Amino acid sequence: MKEILAIIRPKQVSRTKDVLEKLGFPGFTAGCVLGRGKQRGIAGEITCELPADLHSVPGGSKYVPKRLVSLVVPDEDVELVVKALIKVNQTKQFGDGRIFVCPVDNVVRVRTSEEGDAALR
Amino acid sequence: MKMVRAMLRPEIADAVADALAEAGFISMTKMNVFGRGKQKGIKVGDVHYDELSKVMVLLVVDDESVEDVVAVMKSKAYTGNYGDGKIFITPVEGAYTVRTGEAGL
Repeated sequence: MKEILAIIRPKQVSRTKDVLEKLGFPGFTAGCVLGRGKQRGIAGEITCELPADLHSVPGGSKYVPKRLVSLVVPDEDVELVVKALIKVNQTKQFGDGRIFVCPVDNVVRVRTSEEGDAALR
Repeated sequence: MKMVRAMLRPEIADAVADALAEAGFISMTKMNVFGRGKQKGIKVGDVHYDELSKVMVLLVVDDESVEDVVAVMKSKAYTGNYGDGKIFITPVEGAYTVRTGEAGL
């Protein structure tokens, strides 16, 4: 089992949810996070037009609001999910996010006490 | 690659983030969390606070950088009191940049 942690744009969450559900991974955990990447947290996050007098204002934002999406999947599905996440969230702009794959030792379903792969299905 | 997750005091998290950026670890994510440690929260007068607000700073770095990151965090987040926080280091098997679809940090 692997945990897939994806840090994505907040407005892409519902599309990501739809796609993951179609692929058979309806369950996941998401949270609001702030973060920054190599670009130090600026990088054209705003899609609307800025008023002209604001262009001269110095400074940017240190952190960019993001969603952290976490789901645990069986080993053989990692590639599928990662590819799907990349495809859905890719806009080719800085700030699309990052995906981490981490090992998970065990999963327990609280309701039935199932463990391992059985708890994921 | 390793994931470094640090539970820090909220007022100190920004200073830690700045120090990490100065040390060359710019990319990071932070999240507001609530938790308690071995001291089971804190008691102020008659009021017992079971869970305290913390900021979780999360970053993924190469294996050889882990020590540097932990050193920066330890030096910046240290006050010597209970509640300074904890740092967890866990393995990461893969990292992908969504914009390019490439693997790696």
